[in-house]
Amino acid sequence: MGEALVNFFAHLVAPWNPLWAYYPLCAVAAVVYKATKFDEPRRILRASLHFFLWVTGGMFALAVVFYLITLVF
Amino acid sequence: MNERTSARASPVAALVLAWAIPGAGHAYGGRWGKAGLFFGCIVGLLIAGMILGGGTVFSQHELWYAAQVWAGGPTIALTPISRYLSVHEGIDYADRLRETGTLYTAVAGFLNLLVMMDAYLKMAYPHGKAEKEKE
Repeated sequence: MGEALVNFFAHLVAPWNPLWAYYPLCAVAAVVYKATKFDEPRRILRASLHFFLWVTGGMFALAVVFYLITLVF
Repeated sequence: MNERTSARASPVAALVLAWAIPGAGHAYGGRWGKAGLFFGCIVGLLIAGMILGGGTVFSQHELWYAAQVWAGGPTIALTPISRYLSVHEGIDYADRLRETGTLYTAVAGFLNLLVMMDAYLKMAYPHGKAEKEKE
């Protein structure tokens, strides 16, 4: 399972992974969404970074969980 | 920020301006910083989508266009170019980058819808909805 997980992470961070094309889109969406909520530039920046990290981190965690489930079953 | 507080400032005008040019609704309300940010983000996404998709992203399908058209003026300006390119160079429906580019432009449309609503609400309720209800 350890080797499979290492391969999984290697695929995730590989330069040819099409996911890289979606990160800038997510970052811009986070900035626009948070800019409609807050006025101060520093707060917008901090809130969008927080939002981006939580959403992408959550998706990443979900991907790992689903991958581990596929290894078990 | 120097916000427009005149009684003549219309929320509907802000909404229409925000659709025509992303960020223009906020500029109308005197929020120039946000106007620049929204214009840069939304037009940037549209241009990035056009580049990724080889210029044919506005000719994918009517459902995609229903999302893209919320980006207003820039989408309408780029559509003839996209149609011209798709007729003369053809569309590769299996191209993943083209699909990504189409998604970029569709998300730009939805984000502009959010910006339009924000421009309208900030103009209709400059001090927040709760205070307006108290009056």
